[in-house]
Amino acid sequence: MAILLPLLVAVLIGAGVYLVLSRALIRLIIGLSMIAYGANLSILLAGAGTAQDAPPLLNTQGPYNDPLPQALILTAIVIGFGTTALLLVLSVRAYQATRTDHVQELVERLDPLEAPDAYADPERPSVSPEVGPDVEGTR
Amino acid sequence: MNFLALPVLIPLVSGALLLLLRRPMVRTVSSGVVAAVTFFVNASIAVRTWSGEVLTAQMADWPAPYGITLVADGLTGMMLFLSGLTGFLTVLFAGISLQQPSRRGQGPLLNRAREAFGSQALFQFLFMGVNMSFLTGDVFNLFVAFEVMLVASYGLLLIGGELPQLREGFKYVIVNLVASAIFVVAAGFAYGLFGSLNMADIAVRLSASGADPRVAVVAAMLALVFATKAALFPFGFWLPNAYPVPQAATSAFFAALLTKVGAYALIRCFTLMFPAEAELKMTILAFAGLTLLIGGFGAVSRRRWRHMLAFANVASIGYVVMGAFIGTVTGMSAALYYLVHSVLVVFALFLLAAIAERIAGESYRAEGHLDVYPWLGAGFFLASLALAGIPPTSGFIGKFALISSLFEAGGSLRFMVAGSAVLTSFLLLYACVKVWRDFFWGEADAVHRISLPRSMSMITGLGVGLLIVLTLASGPVYRLAEGVAGQLTENRSYLESVLVGALLVGEGD
Repeated sequence: MAILLPLLVAVLIGAGVYLVLSRALIRLIIGLSMIAYGANLSILLAGAGTAQDAPPLLNTQGPYNDPLPQALILTAIVIGFGTTALLLVLSVRAYQATRTDHVQELVERLDPLEAPDAYADPERPSVSPEVGPDVEGTR
Repeated sequence: MNFLALPVLIPLVSGALLLLLRRPMVRTVSSGVVAAVTFFVNASIAVRTWSGEVLTAQMADWPAPYGITLVADGLTGMMLFLSGLTGFLTVLFAGISLQQPSRRGQGPLLNRAREAFGSQALFQFLFMGVNMSFLTGDVFNLFVAFEVMLVASYGLLLIGGELPQLREGFKYVIVNLVASAIFVVAAGFAYGLFGSLNMADIAVRLSASGADPRVAVVAAMLALVFATKAALFPFGFWLPNAYPVPQAATSAFFAALLTKVGAYALIRCFTLMFPAEAELKMTILAFAGLTLLIGGFGAVSRRRWRHMLAFANVASIGYVVMGAFIGTVTGMSAALYYLVHSVLVVFALFLLAAIAERIAGESYRAEGHLDVYPWLGAGFFLASLALAGIPPTSGFIGKFALISSLFEAGGSLRFMVAGSAVLTSFLLLYACVKVWRDFFWGEADAVHRISLPRSMSMITGLGVGLLIVLTLASGPVYRLAEGVAGQLTENRSYLESVLVGALLVGEGD
């Protein structure tokens, strides 16, 4: 039993990383949420071994599970929900703009001027036409 | 002493209320007033902390290791002061530059759609997250603060919805989501390992327990997360393309302060919780040296205003982190002085770039602007001297202190890092000279004078003026940095004021 939960975390995060590395947008988003679930479960695991006594402020007897990791997970779930929603909206918007969900094509279509050569700039044609297509540093 | 919560609460409430206001002008003015109030509160907290006092506030009166503690020591005060100041100017600049449509309708620069979706409210939420990450004394609360800050920054980066913004915003969101997942795991592991999430409590427990390899794992995970936010060498690939895409004021604040939040978290984490992780600190120092080179060479390679400045910003992060991880008090004080300098210089340069972009478009390859816009040239001249570190500017003082403390500390790695710091200074100077040659010099035939909103020029002038003030006030600011560095290294006052009475309990565990 003790090995099952760490194994589940490993599977979740492994599958998440695999999906994030794939090229379809929706797989990427699902992968990110799987990583987030794996992270949340690992907090539960990390907190499991610490405090088995009653919470310090309750006057009751007997072993209790530590409530703090669960509170942390709850916060993380809420934040993860919000960011996933944002990412979904963003991907819908990107799909509408480009009509593709392939990450590489998406990047190229989103900015056709920049994608082939992100390090050089398109020359501004209005300036000094007599110089022609000058190379950086020759002037 | 619950006024410590005000830098978080004021932006939170006003950000929500700003969404109700309909007229853009009213929104800008009220957002500006709120930002001014936040700046005043931040500055008054800062002035109190600079006397060496450590202010604490226990949320809902839960005593320290159990509740969330807000702490303000000298470093927090410094960061709060800077965030209040740049935040105030950012809000005004954003409002003004959106009121006045630009002449050529330059796509990714300025348009009304960006304001209509409530960028002022998002700015306030961003300030809330930034101030909270400076104030909090709790690892998980730091995570929450980062998330608040990041969600607001996603909004600001994407507002307007233009294609380059979508492209870079996508990468930005994904990188930060992965980093946040690692942060959550690190926070969970920290709780499992130390049984506490309060930074001071963790520090006390760690110093009592001694070396443990698992501690190094947690420290490395946190370092990875903060290095990603600070755009440190292997994790900084997302920054240089992302920061130039939003509106000008957003870029300026992101570059000036948002990356420094990561640097702040690194400094806080490794001075307070993990001062003993020597190998990790040396690794971060080496990464800082490489970050410098990336920033320097990148700045030379780019031909557009904000792309070039984004790389210059990467280099400035490199300088700050480098100084902070030399491992000596002199290094730390040089780093803190340079932190103040770099926030102001990067902010001023981005404001200047906003004006230049409005005049001539995104690329700086448009000759002859010196004759037509002499004041823009003067401002850029001053700011670029400060960026490159030419005397008598504040940049020279900062870099001289950084490099001399590297040599003082000795060791082959530190010598190499010092070499890359000097090389990067030359590269930044070269990048600025290129701008000077391509934008300011040359024939002015093709340049037509356009009227700039006077308030836009005034704010930019103020940004450059702050650099002059910093140069003139170098002595007091440097002494302040030394005081704060001493407080960070020695730590005792921080621990005692957070864990009032609980200190003995922590040590007894």
